[in-house]
Amino acid sequence: MIAHREVTRRPPETVMRLKRLGSLHQSRLSFMRVLTRRMAGDAWRFSRPVFEVDAQGVGHAVYTAQGPERAYSLIAFAHDLPDDQRSDRVIAEAWDATFTLFDGVPTAADIARLEAEVPRQEAGRIAESELSLSRANRSVRLWAHVVEALAAGQQPDPAQIDAVGYLMRTTAVYGSGKFGAADRDTIAEREEFTVPFQTEMLSVYLIRTFVRDLVEHMARAKGGAGAASLDPALARRLGIGNSTGLGMAPFLINHPILFNNWIIAREEAIARVRGVPVAKAAEIALFRDLLERSVQSANRWTSQHPEQMRKLDALHRDLKTLSARLAKAPLAAPYPWDRLCLWAETALSEEGQELLASLILEPYPDLVDGLAHCMADSNDAAFRIDGAMPIAGVRTLLERSFGWAGDLDWDAPENCARAWYVSEEKLEPRMGERFEEPIAAYEQPLAPARDAALAARDLAGWAADSPVAAFLLQHPEHRHTIRRAQMSRVAPYGEFRDNTISDRLLPIDMLRAKLSFFGATHFDPRSDRWVRICMYAGAPYPEDLTPETADHWVYPQVGG
Amino acid sequence: MTLSLNEVEAAARKATRGAGYPWGIAEDAGKATRWLCARGLDGCAALAEALSRFDGASLAEIAPNPAGAVWTAPAGELCPLMTGTTLSDHAGLSDHVGLVDAAELRLVEVAVPLLLLPFVASMAAQRDRCVTLTWTEGSAVTDGSDLSLATLPPPNTPWVTVAPGGALGAARLPRSSRATPAPEAWDTLNRFAHRTYAPATEESRRKGAGADTSNSD
Repeated sequence: MIAHREVTRRPPETVMRLKRLGSLHQSRLSFMRVLTRRMAGDAWRFSRPVFEVDAQGVGHAVYTAQGPERAYSLIAFAHDLPDDQRSDRVIAEAWDATFTLFDGVPTAADIARLEAEVPRQEAGRIAESELSLSRANRSVRLWAHVVEALAAGQQPDPAQIDAVGYLMRTTAVYGSGKFGAADRDTIAEREEFTVPFQTEMLSVYLIRTFVRDLVEHMARAKGGAGAASLDPALARRLGIGNSTGLGMAPFLINHPILFNNWIIAREEAIARVRGVPVAKAAEIALFRDLLERSVQSANRWTSQHPEQMRKLDALHRDLKTLSARLAKAPLAAPYPWDRLCLWAETALSEEGQELLASLILEPYPDLVDGLAHCMADSNDAAFRIDGAMPIAGVRTLLERSFGWAGDLDWDAPENCARAWYVSEEKLEPRMGERFEEPIAAYEQPLAPARDAALAARDLAGWAADSPVAAFLLQHPEHRHTIRRAQMSRVAPYGEFRDNTISDRLLPIDMLRAKLSFFGATHFDPRSDRWVRICMYAGAPYPEDLTPETADHWVYPQVGG
Repeated sequence: MTLSLNEVEAAARKATRGAGYPWGIAEDAGKATRWLCARGLDGCAALAEALSRFDGASLAEIAPNPAGAVWTAPAGELCPLMTGTTLSDHAGLSDHVGLVDAAELRLVEVAVPLLLLPFVASMAAQRDRCVTLTWTEGSAVTDGSDLSLATLPPPNTPWVTVAPGGALGAARLPRSSRATPAPEAWDTLNRFAHRTYAPATEESRRKGAGADTSNSD
């Protein structure tokens, strides 16, 4: 008889620190893995009805994914981009390849219409029949190496493939009504899109297939009959890179309920698994296998960024410590996962703790996978302010989300050193130094903790039982803060417990938090506000996608 | 060219901020504009008219004093955004004068009353019953989600009333997933929105996004 142990979710005060969120890893709930499991489970069929690309690599192709009820097609445009125009910035105006995900199967007229728009990206217009807009640039180094090797009838060097990880990296994947695309509302009811970001993830999955086909095409154009096809095992190691700038960070602050739903789904999954009284032999075996494969993945993860190098060192140490612990205490005691996580809190860095937290979910699809359906935000009503709420209620909510900020001096330069703004230059989101640049007048509302302190100060003189409607009439400048405070009732994990305008802020922590939920790996910060990642490395291509291959592909096979 | 409703909402929010309103009001303006467009009405034109009219005004001068059953603005004309948010915020206060069931609330000289409708819908949703907006030559009814409207309210009207009751009639508007605003209204919104963008400087371009120095690797 095992004494019952109550395991609850970790509190927001623990989870919502940027340092921890900047150490998150992919999990069963990651949007890429949700998509590959669904497509395999529902036996989606894939085809390439069009591939019209010339020997210079210019042309277009169509890849169609046929689900149980509907089809979706990636329309890819390949360009011949001079090297000096290649930039990952939002302010770029040309790319190696551009894409849109079409709702259905496009006609020649659709393709002709989109050929005039998609290559121009933000300067073009797409329509309600399009679900995403994206572009990618080559990894010049790896692309040249792979084309040359295949053209000469040889396979590329696996070490070079691992060193870069991808042949092309996307620099934006726009969805949700951007540049004329269909609004999320119009597709959110479709079973295949109930989980967030599925159109974007499907776009990238198909882009990866196109890129593999394009590199083989270019090798054949160069090497003729003697050209080799890319070894499928090598092809599988290739992901699609992504270069992500600051824009993702405001997204998380601007969507507190959506972000809450991601975090709480993962926290609930962790709590459920920690609440498992006894681990079965097969569950332990799977966990151990995937842990070993995680070591392999960590070994392939490189970065030149000093902070990430330090974190990687810690992760390597953590993995050794974890293996040693498992050898000593082999998960036989009651509540083995809870014991392991409690031990990890004292023995591992946050990188290791969060890797472990994701890893213990793997043996328990029945406890975890259903939570993916709670990750979207369909709570439109939460936007509406409840003006009848007494001031006392608002104070309590502000205290709950921002009590950690205590009596932080918001006038001290180090606490408000930064300001988030949007540049008129292609509307690129940027962050600047408040006291060094003329940007304060353009500040975006992305400092919820500072704004909460300002609201609390103005609330001070108000009677506890006054309705907040009266306060808002006198202080409309606090309206966005009061709305967020009320949203926190349904989104306890919606606010960062850190200062988003501090001189020590690392926006890459926010980027990593979001990208980990996509299912990204190999985070490689290029500065404090810019990160490169890899998506779908190890994933089966459409012809190999089966229920057996659809799930654990993110963990490389040892020696593979 | 049609616009997605997301584009409408984003442009409306930025434009309202650009016209000098606080972010919270701008968020409501974005949702309100989207709400009208989703019912086939040109919310962008309504917002462009309101923002142009109140550009640079002091908020206290164009907001209502909700103390009684007749709301007026200190400066003469009521702003529909300040009035609408105040209506929505007070809808849950059951003892509020002018908002008790069956009572009629009179708004004097409210500009562009079309923009009030999304906020009247919010009242209806909170009180779980239809609410009717009446002006000199017509009326509109909403249950919080649907809207019946036979003729558009004029941009200037001496008064409107807001009262519980009414029923959705034959003039119920069909939903639209796209918006086709009048081009000049869309331009006006984008002009206001542009005020929220920081001018490009070399330093900002170099450091503000913190991008790679090299992208050709």
